[in-house]
Amino acid sequence: MKVELTDITKEFTSLRGRVVALDDISIKIDEGEFFVLLGPSGCGKSTLLNLIAGLEKPTAGRIQFDDKVVADTDRRIFLTPKERNVAFVFQSYALYPHLDVFENIAFPLRIARIEKAEIKKAVEQAAATLEITDLLAVRPAELSGGQRQRVAIARAIVRKPNVFLLDEPLSNLDARLRIAMRAEIKNLQDKLGITTVYVTHDQVEAMGLGDRIAVLNRGKIEQIGTPESLYEKPAGIFVAQFIGSPPMNIIDASIIKADGKLCVVLGNQKLVIPSEKIREIEGLKENHFILGLRPEHITINPPDNAQMLTATIHSVESLGRETAVYLDVDGLAITALCDREGMGKGRQVRVRIHLDKMHIFKGER
Amino acid sequence: MSDITDKEIKAACVFISPLIVLIFLFILVPVLGTLLNSMFQDVAFLDKQFVFLRNFRQLFADSGFRQALKFTLLFVLVSVPIEIVLGMAFAMLMNTHIPLRGLLRACVLIPWAIPAAVSGRIWELIYNYSYGLANFIFTELGITTEPVNWLGTSLGAFIAVVIADVWKTTPFAAIILLAGLQAIPVELLNQARVDRANFLQVFYKVVLPLMKPIIIVALLFRTIDGLRVFDLIYVLSGGGPGGATTSISHYAYKYFLGGDFGYGSAVSVILFMIAFLLSVFYVKAGRFMTGQV
Amino acid sequence: MSENTVRNWLVLAGIVFCLAFCLFPFIYMLVISLSTRADFLSQRASFKFTLDNFNAVLTDGSLHFPDYLRNSFLISLASAFFCVVIASLAAYAITRLQFPGRMSLLFFALAVSMFPQIGLVGYLFKFMTRLGWINTYQALVLPYTAWILPLSLWILVSYFSQIPRELDKAALVDGCTYRQILCKVILPVAAPGVLSVFLLSFIFAFNEFMFALMLTTDYRARTVPVGIALFQGLHGQTPWGNIMAASVVTTLPIVILTLVFQRHIMAGLTRGAVKG
Repeated sequence: MKVELTDITKEFTSLRGRVVALDDISIKIDEGEFFVLLGPSGCGKSTLLNLIAGLEKPTAGRIQFDDKVVADTDRRIFLTPKERNVAFVFQSYALYPHLDVFENIAFPLRIARIEKAEIKKAVEQAAATLEITDLLAVRPAELSGGQRQRVAIARAIVRKPNVFLLDEPLSNLDARLRIAMRAEIKNLQDKLGITTVYVTHDQVEAMGLGDRIAVLNRGKIEQIGTPESLYEKPAGIFVAQFIGSPPMNIIDASIIKADGKLCVVLGNQKLVIPSEKIREIEGLKENHFILGLRPEHITINPPDNAQMLTATIHSVESLGRETAVYLDVDGLAITALCDREGMGKGRQVRVRIHLDKMHIFKGER
Repeated sequence: MSDITDKEIKAACVFISPLIVLIFLFILVPVLGTLLNSMFQDVAFLDKQFVFLRNFRQLFADSGFRQALKFTLLFVLVSVPIEIVLGMAFAMLMNTHIPLRGLLRACVLIPWAIPAAVSGRIWELIYNYSYGLANFIFTELGITTEPVNWLGTSLGAFIAVVIADVWKTTPFAAIILLAGLQAIPVELLNQARVDRANFLQVFYKVVLPLMKPIIIVALLFRTIDGLRVFDLIYVLSGGGPGGATTSISHYAYKYFLGGDFGYGSAVSVILFMIAFLLSVFYVKAGRFMTGQV
Repeated sequence: MSENTVRNWLVLAGIVFCLAFCLFPFIYMLVISLSTRADFLSQRASFKFTLDNFNAVLTDGSLHFPDYLRNSFLISLASAFFCVVIASLAAYAITRLQFPGRMSLLFFALAVSMFPQIGLVGYLFKFMTRLGWINTYQALVLPYTAWILPLSLWILVSYFSQIPRELDKAALVDGCTYRQILCKVILPVAAPGVLSVFLLSFIFAFNEFMFALMLTTDYRARTVPVGIALFQGLHGQTPWGNIMAASVVTTLPIVILTLVFQRHIMAGLTRGAVKG
């Protein structure tokens, strides 16, 4: 099932007046795609998911499942969640506390008045898929977080939905379980091939799960693309900083011409711009831009003797496999990633900036 | 979900309409009817006649009404404070960690849960002049040499009614106050203990200030309920002797029973106005006091 | 003695006083009901056990006590049932559906519950007379339901609003209508609250006196409280043994309810009051 959102706007009326939660959003989600909505809290991603589910009504715009219009404000069409046949996994799992696991999974089928034998078969199959067969007689209150999660997913897949919607389903789990469940959700989706929309604020989760990701900020789409394209070619400062950890360095830089060469000024030091980036720099109308540089594109005390900056180590944070080094370059704060020990605080170091990997953003930060 | 849709409004209308219809027909209409009636001469077998405020003017000259008003106010003034203080003590007992606490709570609840008419009958027998329990205890213990004529004298009847009401409604006050006690964070009490406050200090410096809002609520409920007291006294003393324990509700009831709906309605309206004014006073006081805490 | 020992003794003394205070009238009632004569205390006569009083009250057709008991139970059950159903519907709408005036409805109900009963009963009497409903069940069930509804509404609103909204959303996605959400999700999840409301409504209806006194005339609709209040002996003297036996029979179901459901009754009362 393809899902197509066209010019979706959602406004809320609150005591303080109208708040625009989503502003003119258009997204096309392909058949069988794992699509992630990523953004900070309050960006409107959950609202968007509710709109797809039919739990909320758009202020303007159209939503289609394949060729079927499920919501269209112009034609005053609005189908209920029931008529859309979507499945939803909530952050709190929303299991019915008064029903045991079997009845929780069977609930949508019972509402649809499906035959008893068929319900039993479907529930057992869903339970087997999620390996919770031995929990069927248990009440949700007695389950662990991970088990509840499985029950919630089983309830969602039991009736073969058109679209599978997940709202931050992993954020209530501990870190280890989160990684395991992430892999499992991915596998399940591959196996079932159901179009999936997944909401999260965690960019690692989004990168790991999504075929494509839409990054939302303040009710607007910043960028839609594959995880790689978001990482390699962020469309703006927001995406650049939101994706990747530690986040990309964003530095105010200016351009000068010295000895006939274009140079970037960082602090009191200047670096010659490599040939790959000359054309992009020359395209700028001003001699000022915002330089984006991933921490892994900075090397500290490299063996070679290319052009260097000098910097002071402000602080060091071990991330386990790697070490994040917070540098001070003439008052500019820059983060670098390196894999070596011996980064004493306060030491002076030589720093190689891989300007060929830099991102050039126009405008203000 | 947070969308206002026609479908939701329609569903809401269907869901609330039974409540609205019932309350409208059986509470609002009667109340408005009573308000209107209070301005009519509306006696059985006579033509209804609009008399505007005449019923009220008569009321103020009516010594029976003045007696009922005086009794009701005095009754509330005496019994409500006793109920609150005793209720507070019971609430604290019910809040201690003792075995069979549930049973204790249930026992306290029982006087409240049984019909007031039944408790009225029990207390009527207890106060019986010649063979009631009260006089038996009093004479046996030598508190009085002669049996007390509880229900035959104004003062005796007043005391009897107050005691019976305290017995019947202290549980309600205790339950409300218990809820307030349970809402006090344990850390706060432990902190006070750590600060070496003794039991009384904890009570006066921590518990009581925190309980002020809930005490106001209990006072409000008990006062409004006390003002409209009817069944217990109707059964226990019959309003006697000589109307000494006739409450306002009872006084109005007598007129309704006699078929004088206009005058009975006027008495009810006065009762309603007193209850309303006192509620406003309590709400104001509650706000003022919680504002200070 | 340390402060703790003093405190423990105080608590113990308090509990003894508390239990004695609450229970002695019941014990007295029980003793008189089982005694051959009500005046054995003053007459220095010894207590003689008998079941005659109970026998008379439960079997003597002219006393109509079994009729009163049946009326009371049927009327209270019906009122409690209607209260739960109607208050649940309204509480669901108030907590779950967006419609203008939700809060005003709640406070309107609170204000209405402040009206003294005496302000209703005169008009209700005329109203019921005109309908020809005096001395019928509906003459009591309908006003009782309306009169208890505000409290029921407040209690249920407090319970319903604690149920997470995501449960409603899940039910919507699973294909429920509003009615199904209420019946299959909200009511079962709020079962303790629903039970509280049912019990409290039952107790309030069972104990009500003024409406029953005014709107019924004889055993066909008269309830137990009125029946006991108006209990007359056949020979002019107050038949205390019979009255106390009737009181015991009336009190017993309420006492059992209270013992079994103490927690639910307290929870309901507290929610109703603290919210107000």
